[in-house]
Amino acid sequence: MKFTVPIGPQHPALKEPISLRMTLEGEVITDADVRLGYNHRGLEKLAEERTFLQNIYLTERICGICSHSHTTCFVQGVEKLMEVEPPRRGLYLRFLVAELERVHSHLLWLGVAGHEAGFDTFFMYTWRDREVVMDILETISGNRVHYAINTLGGVRRDIDEIQKNKILGSLDLLRKRSEYYLHIGANEPTFVNRLAGVGYLSKKDALALCAVGPAARASDIPQDVRKDDPYGIYAEVPFEVCTATTCDVLGRTVVRVKELMQCYNMIEFLLKNLPEGPVSVRTQRRAKPNEVVSRYEAPRGENIHYIKSNGTDKPERLKVRAPTLANYPATLLMLKKGYIADIPLIFAAIDPCICCAERTATLVNGRSGEERVVTFSELRRLARERWQKAPIKKDAVWPF
Amino acid sequence: MNDMETIEKAKALLGGKILEITNPAVRRIFLRVAPQDLVEAVRVLRDEFGFAYLATISGVDIGENYEILYHFANKYTQLNVRTQIPKAEPHISSICAVIPGAILYERELQDMFGIVVDNIPDPRPLVLPDDWPAGNYPLRKDWKFQRPEEKIPGGKS
Amino acid sequence: MFEKIVRWSRKKSPWILHLNSGACNACDIEVVAALTPRFDVERFGVLLKATPRHADVIISTGPVTRQIKDRIIRIYEQTPDPKFVIAVGACAMSGCVYRGAYNIMGGLDQVIPVNVYVPGCPARPDAILEGVVKLLGKL
Repeated sequence: MKFTVPIGPQHPALKEPISLRMTLEGEVITDADVRLGYNHRGLEKLAEERTFLQNIYLTERICGICSHSHTTCFVQGVEKLMEVEPPRRGLYLRFLVAELERVHSHLLWLGVAGHEAGFDTFFMYTWRDREVVMDILETISGNRVHYAINTLGGVRRDIDEIQKNKILGSLDLLRKRSEYYLHIGANEPTFVNRLAGVGYLSKKDALALCAVGPAARASDIPQDVRKDDPYGIYAEVPFEVCTATTCDVLGRTVVRVKELMQCYNMIEFLLKNLPEGPVSVRTQRRAKPNEVVSRYEAPRGENIHYIKSNGTDKPERLKVRAPTLANYPATLLMLKKGYIADIPLIFAAIDPCICCAERTATLVNGRSGEERVVTFSELRRLARERWQKAPIKKDAVWPF
Repeated sequence: MNDMETIEKAKALLGGKILEITNPAVRRIFLRVAPQDLVEAVRVLRDEFGFAYLATISGVDIGENYEILYHFANKYTQLNVRTQIPKAEPHISSICAVIPGAILYERELQDMFGIVVDNIPDPRPLVLPDDWPAGNYPLRKDWKFQRPEEKIPGGKS
Repeated sequence: MFEKIVRWSRKKSPWILHLNSGACNACDIEVVAALTPRFDVERFGVLLKATPRHADVIISTGPVTRQIKDRIIRIYEQTPDPKFVIAVGACAMSGCVYRGAYNIMGGLDQVIPVNVYVPGCPARPDAILEGVVKLLGKL
């Protein structure tokens, strides 16, 4: 018996409005489809009427969780158009904030994954640790989200010795707590059992559908813009690209936890080798007619901006492609052959940043055509009931 | 292989299809082809060079024509293929047969500019709302938006 | 007498529904962060509910896009009386940086009546708590 479930705009689980339609046969999903547009704010048209400096604040508000990624990608491109080179201390501070943002985003995602899997205690623990990172960011920039620390030609604020030592001290606390989460993940059979085998995406499909970020890296594709196309100071900072071979949600969790540990090492390196000097240089207002493509590795995948200038102080065209859009075709493929109870988890696993939702699902009986609306919380309740009765797979282990 | 080797190999394999090729910065190559050679050029790039990853498709309104850019990347470099189509006859063929992941970007191109993508597997609009009046394409340069009057609740309007 | 009990229970334990109408997510993670152990809005009796039919208070973020306008009106009508609306963030107040875009209505009060405005971009969890408490004081 076939149902079509529309997962519509208002939904308590995922925080952004999009609408999905899924066709079900019993409990197995046979087809999936997406309707975007609830979050379309017409940014590209607005960007053509504002100067480059005003556009920094506009691009920052494309997404609240990865706001620094969008400003850095934009500012990198405009600095190439204006042919200025920011000073080294400015670059180090810019990428220090970038790695701190990656830490906060991965901790947020771990909490959301725990919540979707039914592990609410984990959600509260990771978000409590996230507050430590928010305090560090507030000391550096003055705000918890939307740091506004980038400007054309460098950064706006500097840090002193006291702040530097405070950040290094908090790093020890974060490292200890993250290792505790690793321990939970490896030794908690119900958590591993819930995540293993869900949302399978093979390597061939990930390549054909152009997946990005941890969703692609969990399918054994070592694609990371920081290594393939190094920008800023990533050519000097030592780190490794983290991949996993299991191609499912467990693999994506493993990739993100490994990246967290890499981030702590990078932050320590950046703070210990911070060069002296100014933090920004003056730039001119106008840019010569030219075009530039700027790429950046956001916590969710690759962020790409295409900027074209025409000799005035406003851009001619700004094109932004945020990472979650690139993962949509892959998500629709992952949902097929999955169970309805896994919809929240699969969707949360690509780390959706659809501003870059509310969802309700509409279940449509395929044969008779009658409709029934269920909310996501009801889906989650069904999911928990189903998984509480399922037997524990003895061979599901944390793949390290 | 570095940029120079990629450019030499491209000239050898694609020959007359390339109208112009530039290398303005490290790991950035810009290539121009005619609209009818687009699908074949993308197929050669995917098979011979390993450019299977399409980042996005950008459309630009440059006066008389539309310019469409396809941004590809592989392990060594980042390559952009551009083509121009006239505004009077805005047709371009779809590359979804070669790169299945291009479908969402082509749908957005249709919505924002009114470019007709031939042979697209799924022609529905992507980002504009359901009650959007037809024939209005927001990213064209000659389309301006008149903001309607707002009413302030409890105050003078 | 019965009226007084009902009003007391509504004041001591309002149930909220969180609605995102096209926002950038910063205000939404601050609303969710208000539930975490550091700010802990549950000590006021506030509970996050999933469906509009159980909610007393609607907390809404984001500039209202044209596509979601009808859904918001429908959700507002599904919420039983008496209901209150809190608009969180500069986007819900007047559109923030997106003012003038072709897909934006220009603030939540163009669509549904609003009781409390919480400014900020994004609004801090402390400010959101203060907004909720001020609303309870008016009841």
